[in-house]
Amino acid sequence: MPEKPNKLRVALISGAVIGAVSGIPGVSLINCCCCAGVWLGGMLAMYLYKQQFTEGMQPLESSDALMLGLMSGVVGAFVSTILSVLILVVLGPVEAEFLRSLFEKALERLAEEGSVPADMVEQFKDQLEQSIQDSARISGILGNLFITLIVYPIFSILGALLGYAVFRSKTPPQTTPAQ
Amino acid sequence: MSTPKRIYLAFLFLVASWCAGILLAPLLKAFGLGAGSFLYSWYAPICHQIDQRSLHLAGEKLGVCARCSSIYGSFLLVLLIYPLVQRLSSPSLPKRWWLFVAVIPMLIDVSLNVTGIHPSTVTTRAVTGVFFGAILPFYLMPPLLEGFSQAWHRLILRGGLFYARKAQQT
Repeated sequence: MPEKPNKLRVALISGAVIGAVSGIPGVSLINCCCCAGVWLGGMLAMYLYKQQFTEGMQPLESSDALMLGLMSGVVGAFVSTILSVLILVVLGPVEAEFLRSLFEKALERLAEEGSVPADMVEQFKDQLEQSIQDSARISGILGNLFITLIVYPIFSILGALLGYAVFRSKTPPQTTPAQ
Repeated sequence: MSTPKRIYLAFLFLVASWCAGILLAPLLKAFGLGAGSFLYSWYAPICHQIDQRSLHLAGEKLGVCARCSSIYGSFLLVLLIYPLVQRLSSPSLPKRWWLFVAVIPMLIDVSLNVTGIHPSTVTTRAVTGVFFGAILPFYLMPPLLEGFSQAWHRLILRGGLFYARKAQQT
């Protein structure tokens, strides 16, 4: 029976998609909904992998989904960090500035309504400025890479498992039942 | 203890820890402990954490927004009762369209908000998120348990082969 298709190529493609979705300013806001971009990346990996199967090959198994999700998540974490650094170097903190303008508008509106005291608004602005500066530091970038290296594979595995459930064949292959 | 049961308990522990972190972040911040800030930055890459769109505890927003909180919360609750509803060794998955049915309330809420027909509130975000979170374990658990069982048995098989070869050599 022919071997299963290679997972590395699919993991690199879906990891690049996860990284691009998470690293490009504006597009990355999709991850604000429970890491939806990473979930979709995991599902994409499963879809692409399933497309490579031909008749007579060993059947697609759920352990393939686990491995693909893990690999895609790790690749995605590195790609997103590299992309973020490149964008930071070339364009500056675009996304942070965009988010800052949004937050500042919301804070000023709240201050006008009287929901938040004016001195508190200034305090929030200072904290925001501090977090923007921190995100541009090497420690901030490494900290972000550390978090994404844990979080992205988890969500990518869940996405790949969901992809396995959604894209599965109607007649499931004979697999060893769990004991 | 059987392998799927072990995997289920490990996954349950992970999900419970994840949800506990969401609740701990505001509590630690309210008590002025630095670990609260770490937890907020832990959840930052996966959620916007906007104060007006979040549920609050001890006067502080939760680690994630209302929609995410309800998704994770309902996921954990259904995961807790999962063994009572379905056998852990059962590989059967629900029909695909149930997943789309569960996403529809969330999509309607987002669409109404984006088009300006009806602004979504913390309540609508939380309620619509519950459906999605509650259905997910039924799609994720069978392949997760099966996948880890397969990987575990392969690992044991490889270990067995390694020791068998070693025994042959000696």
